[in-house]
Amino acid sequence: MKQLRLLRVGWWLQLKIRGRSTFDGLLGILYPLFFATTIFFIYRQGSDPTALVGAAVGASVMGVWSSTATSASSVLQGERRQGTLELLVAAPSSFPLLIVPITMALATVGLYSLVATLLWGRFVFDIPVRVDQPLAFGAAVLVTVLAVSLMGFLLAVTAVRYRYSWALGTAFELPVWLVCGFLVPLSALPAWVRPISWLLPPTWGVSAIRAAALGGSPWGDVLLCAVTAAVYALIGTALSGRLIDSARARATLALS
Amino acid sequence: MNSWRIFVLGGWTSYRALFSWLSPWILVPTFIIEPVFQVLFFASVGKSAGVGTATFFLIGNAVQYASIPCLFAMSNTIGGERNSQTLSLLLVSPARRIPLFVGRAMPVILNGFGVTIVTLVLGALVLRVDLPRSSWLPLVVVVAVCAFSCTGLGLMTAGIAMRVRETAVLSNIVFGVLLIFCGVNVPLSALPGWMATTGGWLPLTHGIAAARELAGGATWGAVAGAVGTELLVGACYLVGGLVLLAFFEAESRRSATLELA
Amino acid sequence: MAVIEVAGLERSYKARTGIRRGSAKEVHAVRGISFEVESGELFGLLGPNGAGKTTTIKMLITLLLPTGGSARVLGHDVVREAREVRRRVGYVFGGDRGLYERLSALDNLRYFSELYGVPAREQKERIGELLELVGLTGRERERVEGYSRGMRQRLHIARGLLHRPDVLFLDEPSIGIDPVGARELRATVATLVQQGTTVLLTTHYMFEADELCDRIAVIADGSIVASGTPAELKRGVVDGRVVEVEVYGAVDTALAPLRAIPGVRSVAVEESGQAQLVVVRAEPDAEVTSAVLACLSGVRLGRVATREPTLEDAYVELLSAP
Repeated sequence: MKQLRLLRVGWWLQLKIRGRSTFDGLLGILYPLFFATTIFFIYRQGSDPTALVGAAVGASVMGVWSSTATSASSVLQGERRQGTLELLVAAPSSFPLLIVPITMALATVGLYSLVATLLWGRFVFDIPVRVDQPLAFGAAVLVTVLAVSLMGFLLAVTAVRYRYSWALGTAFELPVWLVCGFLVPLSALPAWVRPISWLLPPTWGVSAIRAAALGGSPWGDVLLCAVTAAVYALIGTALSGRLIDSARARATLALS
Repeated sequence: MNSWRIFVLGGWTSYRALFSWLSPWILVPTFIIEPVFQVLFFASVGKSAGVGTATFFLIGNAVQYASIPCLFAMSNTIGGERNSQTLSLLLVSPARRIPLFVGRAMPVILNGFGVTIVTLVLGALVLRVDLPRSSWLPLVVVVAVCAFSCTGLGLMTAGIAMRVRETAVLSNIVFGVLLIFCGVNVPLSALPGWMATTGGWLPLTHGIAAARELAGGATWGAVAGAVGTELLVGACYLVGGLVLLAFFEAESRRSATLELA
Repeated sequence: MAVIEVAGLERSYKARTGIRRGSAKEVHAVRGISFEVESGELFGLLGPNGAGKTTTIKMLITLLLPTGGSARVLGHDVVREAREVRRRVGYVFGGDRGLYERLSALDNLRYFSELYGVPAREQKERIGELLELVGLTGRERERVEGYSRGMRQRLHIARGLLHRPDVLFLDEPSIGIDPVGARELRATVATLVQQGTTVLLTTHYMFEADELCDRIAVIADGSIVASGTPAELKRGVVDGRVVEVEVYGAVDTALAPLRAIPGVRSVAVEESGQAQLVVVRAEPDAEVTSAVLACLSGVRLGRVATREPTLEDAYVELLSAP
């Protein structure tokens, strides 16, 4: 199908673009590792060794969200600065199909961080990281990456109106780690926060990944992750149409 | 232009030029939402691991977050000047270096100070932490000293940034180093020996320890030593940064490495 | 049926003049212009910077919504049938931006051919064909960040042609290109027109418009001040005379008296190295030389020359008309 091919080609070429800045890539892996290291030290002082393993798995996913959240909100600004935003809008393709590959590439870059964090935990902190159901683990990771890219798509589309959109994206980085239960079980959060957590795809994604790694059934959570992500995709698509029309009316597609 | 004017006007103007934000859209997310959530995040992690107290994580993260303005603003001052190609104009001006660069540091210190105080207040409200009233004034002093010493580190980072192109990446890495080594979320006693020793040589470590003691009811006299150490550490980084800047400036005149074009 | 039909097209902006909200003034970039372009024609929109050329092009390729009037490209309204327009037009603009720097030229073309709906099995051949056309074969695997301005421009043209557009919009394509590169570019454009593509070109280089275009519309300050073939435009001033006087010194006080000389159409002052050049354009039969010299009597003079007008003179005269 033409649309799938467009997504695939777009994703691959955007990955090439982002993969080529070694310094940025290094930071994308290092930064979550700083937080993971701190977290490992905190849990090591505690008395529960299984909590440490759970923390390692949860911490590994932090990078997937970070690499997307911090960059997604400035994706459209970046395209505008490069002079390519106009070319994207002037194309006869549906605009969401052009932006989703970009956020997909961002989330894919986060996979490096996932692997790096697990290895770091295993070899530097001697955490007995294990993956009980590799296939389910892979599926859960894939769905989570996709879900995060769709959230990134919504972020990209909503943030572009704001001149300082990058600040908004970075502000969401830690709140999602906290609210989606990456490290802290949802039961530890105040009751009023839980509905918010349920509406965020990473909550189900991280739960699925943890279940696939440490024992449990991930499939229900994988489904919920996909469903919530689809909602974000729909909202993002609806908003992007209005966004482009507004930009055409207000002449904000180009820098000059 | 006399030194004082260079100091005040130069500092304020460059700061405004860099952060031309009269917009709450940057101030609120970057200086209020992010630090408060860093506090909440680690406080929850600690609670879930059964380690530490809310006060412990509040103070550590609130002070550490001052490094965001102190590092980024300082290296952006230099990096930003290079990007907008005003650095060469600046360096060939007859203005004296010390008031020039220290003047640029003043708004940064104030910024760092402000961020920590706001984070402490908001974090204490959310986490329901009670800081004893007697500790408030000493805490303010400690926070100011930490902001100063962190800015010294920022100046040093800016000096290194004169050679390395990726200033933002450098600042991010230093942020991470401070997060791990300065006893922000993990007491130095729980870190391997070499890490704790390194932490002792970095800004914020002594200040955070002093602030925690004050929060626990200690008197000023008990922490004055640590505060003095913090001040000294900051001064060393400040001087180191100025020396580096002078060195690179001289070197660039010889070998055109400032990439001013 | 005309390929491009523009009727009373308008575009205005609110420009912020201060930090506070509310201090805005309305800027009229395009003030109700109308023209038509026939199939296979090379139409030029000629005007100085800020005249509204780029704004007009952007409205025609659906990147900007007009604030008044209407336009149709290939029979489709640019506002209501944007996607149909986008399928069949190409957009090429001058300058360094508009390409993915970290990708090779080949990857850039692969990406854009996907975006612009070139069928998968045709892409490889089409890309090869276009690289050949613009002379970039052999360098397509290099990253764009290492390309010169001329190479980027050529890549832009290749990109604009990927989906075989019926209409090509070129916005100041030879900006910043060396003369040899610009000449090659013009030759490519001429070939395209011969093959049946309709081209709308904006430029502020008069000789370029003169050389290439079948018809020109001169646009200034948002309105079309003249249109026609290059020959027609020149005819408007070809029967006339131009007196050029080199002066050393201030001539501001002499301008009004110069303009008041009977038979003078326009007076302009240009910089010419150390001196200034006073250019007086006059009616064909008016003997103005001695009157001009009389007005400039207090100033030190250099060379004095009389000549026939060129398209540049037509252009200047059109722009300076009230």
